[in-house]
Amino acid sequence: MTSPRVLLVAALVLALLPLGLPLYAVTLLIEALILGLFAMSLDLMVGYTRLFSFGHAAAYGLGAYTAGNLLLHTDIPVVFAVLLAGVFSGVVAIGVAWVCTLATGVSFSMLTLAFAQLLYAIAFKWTPVTGASDGLAGIPRTPGPFGLVVFQSKIGFYYLVLGCLIAAFMFCRSLVASPFGAVLRGIRENEAKTRSLGYNTRHYKIAVVAIAYALGGLAGALYAAFAGFTNTELLFWLLSGQVLIMVIVGGAGTLVGPIIGAIFFLLVQQYLSTYTDSWALFFGLIFIGFVLFIPQGLLGLMTGRRASGAA
Amino acid sequence: MALLELVDVTRRFGGIIAVDAVSMRVAEGEVRAVIGPNGAGKSTLFHLISGVLKPSAGEIRFGGDRLTGLPSHRICQRGVSRTFQLTALFPEMTVRENARIAAQARHGRRWQPYGGGAIFGAAARHGDAALERLDLTHVAHRPAGLLSHGDQRLLEVAMGLAQQPRLLLLDEPTQGLSVEETGQAVETLAKLFADGGLTVLLVEHDMEVVFRLAHRITVLHRGAVIADDVPEAVRANSDVQNAYLGGID
Amino acid sequence: MDFLGFLITQCLNALSQAALLFFLGAGLTLIFGIMRIVNFAHGAFFMLGAYVGYSAVQLTGSFWGALILAPLVVGSVGAAFELAILRRLYRRDGNAFLMVTFGLTLVMGEVIRLTWGVAALNVPLPKLLSGIVFIFDEPFPIYRLFLAASGIVVALVIWQFLERTRLGLLIRATSQNAEMVHALGTDVRLVRSAVFGIGCGLAGIGGVFAAPLVTASLGMAPNAVIDTFVIVIIGGMGSFLGSAIAAVLVGFVQVFGTYYFPDLALALMYLLMLLVLVVRPGGLLGKEA
Repeated sequence: MTSPRVLLVAALVLALLPLGLPLYAVTLLIEALILGLFAMSLDLMVGYTRLFSFGHAAAYGLGAYTAGNLLLHTDIPVVFAVLLAGVFSGVVAIGVAWVCTLATGVSFSMLTLAFAQLLYAIAFKWTPVTGASDGLAGIPRTPGPFGLVVFQSKIGFYYLVLGCLIAAFMFCRSLVASPFGAVLRGIRENEAKTRSLGYNTRHYKIAVVAIAYALGGLAGALYAAFAGFTNTELLFWLLSGQVLIMVIVGGAGTLVGPIIGAIFFLLVQQYLSTYTDSWALFFGLIFIGFVLFIPQGLLGLMTGRRASGAA
Repeated sequence: MALLELVDVTRRFGGIIAVDAVSMRVAEGEVRAVIGPNGAGKSTLFHLISGVLKPSAGEIRFGGDRLTGLPSHRICQRGVSRTFQLTALFPEMTVRENARIAAQARHGRRWQPYGGGAIFGAAARHGDAALERLDLTHVAHRPAGLLSHGDQRLLEVAMGLAQQPRLLLLDEPTQGLSVEETGQAVETLAKLFADGGLTVLLVEHDMEVVFRLAHRITVLHRGAVIADDVPEAVRANSDVQNAYLGGID
Repeated sequence: MDFLGFLITQCLNALSQAALLFFLGAGLTLIFGIMRIVNFAHGAFFMLGAYVGYSAVQLTGSFWGALILAPLVVGSVGAAFELAILRRLYRRDGNAFLMVTFGLTLVMGEVIRLTWGVAALNVPLPKLLSGIVFIFDEPFPIYRLFLAASGIVVALVIWQFLERTRLGLLIRATSQNAEMVHALGTDVRLVRSAVFGIGCGLAGIGGVFAAPLVTASLGMAPNAVIDTFVIVIIGGMGSFLGSAIAAVLVGFVQVFGTYYFPDLALALMYLLMLLVLVVRPGGLLGKEA
């Protein structure tokens, strides 16, 4: 595991980076951190509880559209809007999780995909709320009554994103180290045994899905405020796949690994897309390669760790 | 007063009667073995008591309370812990962690999503105590998946014990063990039971094990009880001998 | 009279829809039942079938040729993939299959995009199958009739294949006890490759059948995957008969649902899946939950 000292250094580096980088690099960094938060949220499900979701884009899109609507139609300051959007995603996820956990294994995964597709289809039709295929545009970063205009600048928003990521990371760390986290681990390694010990595993699964969706929703909300627009791509299954790839390639079950995976993904995407139009093809191949030969992910490679039971 | 009471418990699977109007009473502190030839319904009986299956008919009472129809995790919370025929552990967790998470299940705030020092501490105490009683302390830091088969079976018992159960259901604890491993396991279990304070229901195939450990024996044949007595009497029982085709000795 | 005509044509419609769903579901159930692999790429093979079918028609000028060529090509691709990649994963747990077949979906999607472009492609029907026929005064496309009939025929063929032929017997035996089959001298690995190839071939032929109706497009894969899994979840993983029944059920729900509640069409299918999962988590005839 990455030690507290390393993490502190990383956090400091991230905090100081924007002061020395050109603006376009800061943009890239913001995207990376948002995706990192998104991937880390999925890791709670995939890496720590072995619940494979193929529909995590639902969380992202939910958060993005909620934040978009809040910022467009109310005066809620951007900080509160994104947080609210995250909470809302988490609440919706309780219902989603209740249904999906009726099944286990691949049926569970397919149900998560089905929900994401359902939301995707709804987004196309529900024009007043989602703007249909055009999406929402012109989303402002409302300063609010205390004049917090700092978030309207790129650098200012960067620190908002960084703050959210660090806070979410600390929250997740605490969660997986807690008694609740120990039960998740039991579910991951042997759910039947965990049930037979007296734990109502379904409740735990629902809870972790809700938390994962809340944090994923927060990421989506941050994206909406950052980009200033949303569209149905944010709910598309391709995004669900990409974030899953980030988790596996980065290293599932580590929290930090998926963040690294997200950065890796963005960098490769940037690099490859200057050479070829079909970078997605290479990504699929890289992904297959990692599953076959490097199941411990990038973080595992870097720290010399064996693969856990997650992949 | 009987701690566990079964009254005419029956379980049907379609046309097959797996458990046929079984009645039995297990007193507190007793070690009761349930034996019978293959297919006699022993494991099914365990599934019924622990809540994995629901009875088609009949009542199960535990400490006076009705257990019939409750889901398995509730029954476990009432103080009934069980082990399984096929070893089920958490292979990547250490032995100590296995025992700890078993004990954690009985804690009021087992679901706490932050901190947990006090909860883990209390669970570890019960877990470590259970490991000690099963002579597993020397492998406490090894991943459970790397233990010998014999130690894995004992770890399962330790996990049950760590839950401080009022009733412990052991489903063929010596299943798959070599002669030597069985001997060691039996001695450990004998010591454990001799300490007292445990009510145990034990399914076993190995007669030597049964006679070494049990206070009383219930014999099942084709789902029904054909004998329920102290070991010497069961040994001499001709019905039992016939059921096993050729006698026990 | 009007209502009778309407009812019958809609039922035929549902059956034709069920046929498409059945091609998908049968292939996946076959693969899962024998190999315990969850083939996420099944939708991609379906899509590949549609595109290969398009090219086959372009090349040979014959839709019938495409019906034969496409499943062969798609099945071969599937078998090759199983040989090269999936074989390495049998020792790992099921999630590895899910991941790898998902990666394959992405790769195939891109390869298809690069080869055929992004525009949806129209696959023309032979004269024999185009046009309409009148059933109780209601017009009904001949192609859909053909589709419904083909579905029934293929279902019967598969059933007989599994029950009566030697390979079918081997397949059924392998699904129950692979080690025993191996001990009896058959190379189980060959059986597995064959099954995966056949399963993908079935998806491919489904793609060819579907192409004239929905046009070959890049969006086919995810929807097909979901449809397939809905069928298999409702029918029960590993149950061939279950997929057939589920396909008919979903076909009817989709067709009649779209007619009476057009906006809820998508939701209806998911609601059906939910209902089945709540009432019978293992699926209607499932062997595994």
